[in-house]
Amino acid sequence: MQTAWGWLPAIYLFLGGTSVGALLVAAAFEFSGKRYQYNFCPTSLVGATVSGPLIILGALVLIFKLGAGLREPWRIFYMFTHFSSVMTWGVWIITFFITISLVYGFLEVMDTFPAAWDWLRARRWLRKAKFLWNLPIRRTKRLFAGVGLVLAVGVAAEQGSLISAVGPAIPFWSTRVLPFIPVPMMPVLFLVSALSAGLGLTVDLAATLAVGPMEQRVKSLPWIQMALIGVQTLLLGMLLITALVDGGSAAQSALEIIVGTYAVVFWVLIVFPGLLFPFIVYACAAGLGRHSLVSRVGSGVGIVVASLFLRYLILASGIYAAL
Amino acid sequence: MVFLPWFHDTTIPVNCQTYSVGLDRRADMEYNQCGKFVIYYSILNTSGGPMERSGISRRRFLVLMAAGAAVAAGAPLLKSVLPTATSERPKARYALVIDTGKCTGCGACIEACHLRNGLPEGVSYIYRIVKGNNRKPWFLMVQCQHCANPPCATVCPTNATYRREDGVVLIEERLCVGCRYCMPACPYQARVFDEERGVADKCWLCLPWVLGGGLPACVEACIPGARFFGRADDPDSEVAQLIASGQAKPLRPEFGTEPSILFYVMEEE
Repeated sequence: MQTAWGWLPAIYLFLGGTSVGALLVAAAFEFSGKRYQYNFCPTSLVGATVSGPLIILGALVLIFKLGAGLREPWRIFYMFTHFSSVMTWGVWIITFFITISLVYGFLEVMDTFPAAWDWLRARRWLRKAKFLWNLPIRRTKRLFAGVGLVLAVGVAAEQGSLISAVGPAIPFWSTRVLPFIPVPMMPVLFLVSALSAGLGLTVDLAATLAVGPMEQRVKSLPWIQMALIGVQTLLLGMLLITALVDGGSAAQSALEIIVGTYAVVFWVLIVFPGLLFPFIVYACAAGLGRHSLVSRVGSGVGIVVASLFLRYLILASGIYAAL
Repeated sequence: MVFLPWFHDTTIPVNCQTYSVGLDRRADMEYNQCGKFVIYYSILNTSGGPMERSGISRRRFLVLMAAGAAVAAGAPLLKSVLPTATSERPKARYALVIDTGKCTGCGACIEACHLRNGLPEGVSYIYRIVKGNNRKPWFLMVQCQHCANPPCATVCPTNATYRREDGVVLIEERLCVGCRYCMPACPYQARVFDEERGVADKCWLCLPWVLGGGLPACVEACIPGARFFGRADDPDSEVAQLIASGQAKPLRPEFGTEPSILFYVMEEE
């Protein structure tokens, strides 16, 4: 079992993934026009505003794990320098993503609460910044949402590539999408899982608590969520099957997940709360047209918790290739 | 870490002799694992043998100056007459061959490594894997394989891990941020994390000892004499002959890492 990375990197991957997913959902609402269907859109507001703080929190968590993180923090800047490392790409992408998501979150708040924007512009220290007077908030926001969208996909893919780049040392992490397709599975799985966690946080939790059942606002939402759960289940199944077909330590990892040490984590903390329960909730919502607040919030919490444990599981179940 | 830029290409007194030094670009000076300040003073001495003296008296200095002036004056003439000389000294390429037929798995190498590098209790750069069966076990002593294509150096985000020209893979401690990315990336699991210093540590083939003409601790301590260390580029060395015999093989060559440490591995029954 891989023990070099414990809980903190898993928490970083989870916070980063949720941040990315939240921004993706907010940007999707922005570009599809759903954001402007009603006066108040809690999904976009929460998605855009939590994205930056979540990934900053994730990066801070990671700094605690770094050997020199608190001792000699200036060494962190060396991490920008070695471009053969996926971690260096990640540090660059996350730096840009943090900047863009913070500005996007700020503009979303200003767009949702125009009074706050007017108050801010009236401050003496901002009066001289004349470009703010005629700043087209929505167009600027769309620009940042677009750039954020691209960077968000980059962050999620980088998180997956980070572990699949380890190569022959831990074959489970570099499992391909299918045995004959030379594309690593982890970036794809992390992206879909991030999107799922983002939807769980912004729609199931935030929007439900703020304005009630979201499927009355967006009819296709339960179907989108069911499709996403379907894709995630398919990807997890393909990951485990491909690992079993590959044999060796990758197959050992897959067996540890399905029936071994991590079976409880996998079935009880990932499959049930993150895939099965939300699927039933959404199926009821799509079929019957309604479901309770408790089941919706429960599915949101389940998806977010499962997203954390999925990352922990993948990190913990990496078994080194036998020597 | 102290950085003294004027220290490059100068002379330093060592054991009452004055030696010419040309320090390595990066791994020139650092506190070693024992907390002692180490200068890799013999980097110029890539021949691997004991260092040459270059202590210069005043008289010798004047003679050399005169000779230098004569050479400088005659150089254009010589250059037109003589073919272009290739005066580069051969670069050392170190290798370690472990004979698994002789290795008894006694762990003397583990202890010696632990002591020489002043490692914390229970930590060593070498670990033991028992192979074979109960009736006929054999032992694989694994440490950093000093790969020609080190995956730990590729994934290192700060470029702290790097490979020297002589094949030794080192860590520049002042650059290491302690992210531990190299630990799962090393297929030989040769990295250990030093919590005290906050860096991912590993075998450094006792480089200062080797450059000073000595041997790595594990080779010195090996009781059955199963470890052979030397220059792979010197055809007369024992190591080069063992490699040339074709029986010394790298561990899991399919990883594509091209290690400098090779094994005589007995076939499993």
